[in-house]
Amino acid sequence: MKCPALSVKNLSIRFDDSSGRRQVVDRVSFSINAGEATGLVGESGCGKTMLSLAIFGLLPSTGVYVESDGIEINGHDISTLSAKQKRAVLGRDIAMIFQQPGTALDPVFTIGQQISAVYRRHNPGDKTKTRQAMLDALEDVGFGELEEIAASYPHQLSGGMRQLAMIAMATVCKPAVIIADEPTTALDSSTRLMILQQLERLRTKYQTAILLISHDLTVVRQSCSDVMVMYCGRLLEKTDCQSLFTRARHPYSAGLLSCIPQIGNSRPDGINAIPGQVPAATDLPRGCHFAPRCNRAESACRQSVPDFHYENGKGVACFRPL
Amino acid sequence: MNSPMQQPSPPLLEIRDLSLRFQKPERLIIDRVSFSIEAGSTLGVVGASGAGKSSIARTIMRLIEPDEGKVLFKGEDILQMDPRQLMATRQRIQLVFQEPSASLSPRRSIQQILLEPLQHFSIGNAEQRQEKILQTLQTVGLDGDVLRRYPHQFSSGQQQRIAIARALVTDPELLIADEAVASLDVSIQAQILQLIQTLQKDHGIAFLFISHDLGVIRQIADDIAVTYRGQLVEQSSADQFFSAAAHPYSKALLSFASHKPPLQPKGNRLRLGRGRTESDKAPVCVFARHCPEKVPVCEQVEPADHVIRYRNQHKAGRHCVKCHLYNKVNNHDF
Repeated sequence: MKCPALSVKNLSIRFDDSSGRRQVVDRVSFSINAGEATGLVGESGCGKTMLSLAIFGLLPSTGVYVESDGIEINGHDISTLSAKQKRAVLGRDIAMIFQQPGTALDPVFTIGQQISAVYRRHNPGDKTKTRQAMLDALEDVGFGELEEIAASYPHQLSGGMRQLAMIAMATVCKPAVIIADEPTTALDSSTRLMILQQLERLRTKYQTAILLISHDLTVVRQSCSDVMVMYCGRLLEKTDCQSLFTRARHPYSAGLLSCIPQIGNSRPDGINAIPGQVPAATDLPRGCHFAPRCNRAESACRQSVPDFHYENGKGVACFRPL
Repeated sequence: MNSPMQQPSPPLLEIRDLSLRFQKPERLIIDRVSFSIEAGSTLGVVGASGAGKSSIARTIMRLIEPDEGKVLFKGEDILQMDPRQLMATRQRIQLVFQEPSASLSPRRSIQQILLEPLQHFSIGNAEQRQEKILQTLQTVGLDGDVLRRYPHQFSSGQQQRIAIARALVTDPELLIADEAVASLDVSIQAQILQLIQTLQKDHGIAFLFISHDLGVIRQIADDIAVTYRGQLVEQSSADQFFSAAAHPYSKALLSFASHKPPLQPKGNRLRLGRGRTESDKAPVCVFARHCPEKVPVCEQVEPADHVIRYRNQHKAGRHCVKCHLYNKVNNHDF
């Protein structure tokens, strides 16, 4: 049996500082096969980005406690590696695309220099080979004038182009896993479509496993086969995209879906919203964290935490699923 | 006899042939844009980034001086006003920006943030001001106990409520919302849109609502204006737009926004974006190069604004499109 490209087992993240103890991620497990894309959705502050940073090993070492039963890339556990050993893995086997390409790219180096630096780190030596790999990566994401793009500084490119350059940087070493953290937020719809198309192309071309993090279910629907819904650090529902959009089981998933503005021939009468807001991580409610905002909650929901029930590869953590 | 009925009073806001150029490098940002907003109605301005949406908003507030055109607020040209008149008008028009955390000063309490516009426009005495602040907070769904806190103590959704409250304290008649929900999560976005609907219905505030998200626009706009590279290419009522968009660019926008999978990768190579230079300003259609329905005339002559006629013209309202395909002289079968 082939092992999944990325497998995360019981990952928990806890912050301990002066403001108290905060459980930001609570026993999250999932796996993604090569060539598949899985979406991770949830509101801001529910731990999506923390999860991705923990997989990548980018969280600070003081005051943050990361525990897991293993984070495996192609069967190799990277959670036990030292910082030095990890550096050989990051960029080569797993790469990350950040939300703000303007901040993530270095303003004083050209796009070409920055992409080459990643390649050189894992394939030292040969300058012409590095250059060729850099230009190939730019071509892969759909750029036309390769030399001109390579010689540009980040500020000379538009937001969409910077994001494509980031994707080129992430894919220059052909990693097995790419984590894309809100790659299309703050881009307009046509640019967003272009970015998603390029990610899709790379996924099929190199059989990359993609974890796409987004608060936008539309983005996930456009580019992922599976989807996980997260709230206050816990996974609430894990299913394939089709099922989520046709028959969401968790009331929170259903709430998120109803918030998506629909484009119809007639103007909708009202706007659906989930009442209330995400509770602070220092002040999580007992039982199911979503219970105070849930219109199906009963007393059991406020007392104990529902387990994750699996059925045919789909799962939901709810006492009263839809 | 088919001319649109003359309104007895001027619209709340009317823009006529507004143009804006940037120098060095020379770019045409806004190209002869005209539209109007009636009191209490909402115009949704859509278009890709760089289409000039925000520049139009800033020009209306005269934060940028345009090169040509008129901005008439209740019939008076904002661009010709002296500083005193301008100040009085700005009290009636307020802006809400995209990024709430960036538009609220981190060093000021909510009390100070909400008090400043009242002081600036010398509205009321101390007691009345405090009453107004509390009343506005209630409108946007916040309690009075937020006043002593600072912006960083709030979530992005609450920050946007505060930014909207700041715009509301001066009792504006027109709110310009420049991508006001773009940086918010879908769930928070829905809550803010609910608030905006309340302001439309219960307070009769007119909105110029700029967004690239057609789904959001669908929820709250009465009329739609589509911008492309500085021009308005289509203008119509929201119902007409979403049932029968006419301009090829509008149709493309609608297909981008449809939620349907799957994605088909395109073979097109991406070129460096250079904005629109003056030399591009040859008299051709701005969308011709990317238009799937292009005909030869599109690359020779700039299209005029064609009005699409409906059988029930009065009910349908005016539907205007800048496209040769709708020119009856060239296209008899339409």
